[in-house]
Amino acid sequence: MIEVRNLTKRYGDTTAVDGLSFTVQPGLVTGFLGPNGAGKSTTMRMIVGLDRPTEGEALVGGRRYQDLSRPLRHVGVLLDPAAVHHGRKALDHLRWLAASNGIGEQRAVELLEQVGLGGVRHKRIRTLSLGMKQRLGVAAALLGDPQVLMFDEPVNGLDPEGVRWIRDLMRGLAREGRTVFVSSHLMSEMALTADHVVIVARGQLVKETPMEALTRNGSLEDAYLELTSGRGL
Amino acid sequence: MKNALAAEWLKLRTVRAPFGLVSAIGLMVACGALLSWLMVQDYDTSPAAEQMKFASADASVVINPVVQFCVAALGALVATSDPRLTALTAVPDRKRLLAAKTVLVTTAAAVIGAAALALSIGAGWLITGDRPPPIAPWDGPGDVLPWFGAAVLSIVVTGLIGLGLGLALRSTAVAIVVVGVLLWGLPAITPMLPDPWNTDASAVMVPYLVYEVAGIVENAPLTPLAAVTCLLIYVVVTLGTGTVTLLRRDA
Repeated sequence: MIEVRNLTKRYGDTTAVDGLSFTVQPGLVTGFLGPNGAGKSTTMRMIVGLDRPTEGEALVGGRRYQDLSRPLRHVGVLLDPAAVHHGRKALDHLRWLAASNGIGEQRAVELLEQVGLGGVRHKRIRTLSLGMKQRLGVAAALLGDPQVLMFDEPVNGLDPEGVRWIRDLMRGLAREGRTVFVSSHLMSEMALTADHVVIVARGQLVKETPMEALTRNGSLEDAYLELTSGRGL
Repeated sequence: MKNALAAEWLKLRTVRAPFGLVSAIGLMVACGALLSWLMVQDYDTSPAAEQMKFASADASVVINPVVQFCVAALGALVATSDPRLTALTAVPDRKRLLAAKTVLVTTAAAVIGAAALALSIGAGWLITGDRPPPIAPWDGPGDVLPWFGAAVLSIVVTGLIGLGLGLALRSTAVAIVVVGVLLWGLPAITPMLPDPWNTDASAVMVPYLVYEVAGIVENAPLTPLAAVTCLLIYVVVTLGTGTVTLLRRDA
């Protein structure tokens, strides 16, 4: 479970996240929606301790992420698939991540096979396509077999087969009782994937609701645009 | 800490740049040995009066600044080559991450520096054989050890300076440029300052401190202990700034 309590982030006079509170429950895929600049990525970065909140806190399984001694065993994170050393081989990327959290190397080999990158494990990351880098990022997130998973725009760069693959993966992870928190701009994709949605605009919570309740009278896109109209940047 | 250190070591040896830096050091050691050999050939064919004017055929003095620079670049790479987002997601305890990087750079710098200097000094010894001073660089092991120790210390210090600058500036290129200024730029400028600032300022430049630490400079402005303290101040300032940046700033 992810708990966000009164989370606020200010950069000088600019407030990126403004008193945000919500809970991401296990066993569901929770979509995190909002216009560009709504504070989605900043919120995710604060959840994993990359950015310090000005106020409030974010807890994963009741603890701050930075207090977890082997965090990848608790939380799998894909925030930016380009945030890798592009001169390193795909398998070596997973090997160092595994080593940092006391995870065996065999798990890295198995995961590369699982995400369809077994054939390119000895290729340098710079030679991989954007979709392959996304899959590598997903493999890194799954490395510690975590109960909580967080994906920021995971279908970017994926072909239709890849989009379906990641949708099925996230649905499967939620069915196993894991907490899956995913941000996306693709409403059609979110409508197919998410059970629950958290909508933000200008750093504030606009709506936290089951998907079913939001789409009862129309499409997710219509509901989203109605809720966020005039609240974007 | 053990896991973080294992990860840092794996990161270092799974990219190409560190191997390039070590190769550059190896090439410099080989060039230094060639230089010593050429000097000895010249010495052997020179008249006795000319032989007394020769400098010692010790290439370790020549290669030391290059090793310092390469190891400082290695320190900067350890700090900056992997995006912080991924590094801090894997090891969110920033103090633990910093400790792992510091241990890795200190160890790598000491091993690389000691190996390069030992090879260079050993090659000089073999090449000069039983020829007398001034072409013979050292009288014996007791004579060379202060220089060896001071040079290895200076290499470890420059590695930590590179690490600190990398963490503070968050850019490999900028950190390496600043290292170049510290090792070569400022020491070239300080002798041009008016007296006595030229002597005072030159005495605290990293390239001169190594000779002062070794105690091989006549009438040195600093004692060996003061010179060691000065080297440590460089580490405290640069690594301290890097530490504050890592611990306090957002990734």
